[in-house]
Amino acid sequence: MPERGPLIGVVGAGIAGLRAANALLKRKDDARVVIFGDENHRTYNRPGLTKKRYPNSGSPKSELAENLKIKEVENDSVTWRLDTRVEEADLSGKVLRLSTRGTFEYDGLVIASGVRPRTSAEVGRECAFHTHRTLRGLDDAQYIHDELRASKKVTIAGAGFVACELASLAGEYGCEVSVLETRRSGPFESMLGRNISQALRRWLVQHGVTFLTGDSARQSMCSGSSEALNPESSSDRSLYVEAIGSVPNVEWLCGNGLDLSDGVRVDEYMRVPEREGVFAAGDVARYPDPWATGSLTRMEFWKNAVETGELAGRSLASALGYESEVSQIKYFPSMSTEVFGLRIQIAGDPKACDSMEIVRGDLDRLDQGVLVKFLREDVVGGVAYMDEGARYNRLYIELVKALKAR
Amino acid sequence: MKIFVEMAKCENHGQCAISAPNNFELDSDGNLRYQESFGEEDLHDIEDAIDSCPLQAISLDRDPTYA
Repeated sequence: MPERGPLIGVVGAGIAGLRAANALLKRKDDARVVIFGDENHRTYNRPGLTKKRYPNSGSPKSELAENLKIKEVENDSVTWRLDTRVEEADLSGKVLRLSTRGTFEYDGLVIASGVRPRTSAEVGRECAFHTHRTLRGLDDAQYIHDELRASKKVTIAGAGFVACELASLAGEYGCEVSVLETRRSGPFESMLGRNISQALRRWLVQHGVTFLTGDSARQSMCSGSSEALNPESSSDRSLYVEAIGSVPNVEWLCGNGLDLSDGVRVDEYMRVPEREGVFAAGDVARYPDPWATGSLTRMEFWKNAVETGELAGRSLASALGYESEVSQIKYFPSMSTEVFGLRIQIAGDPKACDSMEIVRGDLDRLDQGVLVKFLREDVVGGVAYMDEGARYNRLYIELVKALKAR
Repeated sequence: MKIFVEMAKCENHGQCAISAPNNFELDSDGNLRYQESFGEEDLHDIEDAIDSCPLQAISLDRDPTYA
């Protein structure tokens, strides 16, 4: 009988899990890899869920799914167990308990179970006024695109990346958009500070968004639970999307002695320190921040998932005794989004900075381009660039390069 | 090999121009400009650009004339 390779479980079918699987298989092609995903879809390009509208007639669902396809899923060595949630893990017995009532015994494990939207209302619930949804998966996005295409009224709770992209998308579809932010004065305030946040708020308002903050936002919030249902008014119900942050999916790991205080604590090689042969990657992984000695970071960005997933796969290959180049995580945060035609690029860690300085432009004229640097004790720790065009893009790239080389 | 960008997917986020400034740039209107051919020394940066694209619009295609 031929010897069989090790059996590897990957919990989570997002890009981090797939990258880990592919990185391992590249180095150890007799490994048997099973990817568990609770959605009924193989890995797709999650950032693309809210990036643009699908105005064509025909099926927006298949149009969206088609557009989000990624090449890397075409790896025949991977076994996909979709629509399957991992309910519980016994890391000492190396066994997973599945929602399909089966179990799965593994030799190596990659935790890439991601995050889910934080929510105050019961998702999928209808109250007298709204249909309540959150946005994380492809099915959520398909539903929301459908609703927005019907040019309905939409209310969005939250003013982070998902909320702002959704507001912009809804505006493009021709919806009447309200954004509710109870704790801050505008978008991305906790990251970019009050001045930029208020400039962004003005940008949204200029583009037709009703942006409510504080008590007026609180009064418009709806938890969906206390309203009496009137079945006759169901067609009048508008869409209410909560985009108020996320919660790491770690409950299935409880009882194994891991540090689950904010995601899964790993070392700089994505190894779960308490258990040999167990790794974590993607949105759920909390690792030593390569840009701030002594602190830990957990990031929810595509490129972070790509890089931590790749490293987890390499580290796993190395742990299995295969030649694999493994170096400490060096992910440099660089992200971008577009809100009503304004491209927003952010690099480094502005959140950890204590002051900001405008390098070019004027916050009252975002459309003309504004380049900002963030300082921490007089040292540049982050940069941001907002523009309709790309007037200062070269200068921005120079600042990013300098920041990366620091 | 050649760089290939699906322009229908590209939304000009500019992450590629940060990863591989020798090969990608945004013009003053914010639209992507890139060159299909590249030197071997830029390969690592280009692979980084492929991973960085939030729309996953970039790929490396083998040029059939050199296959």
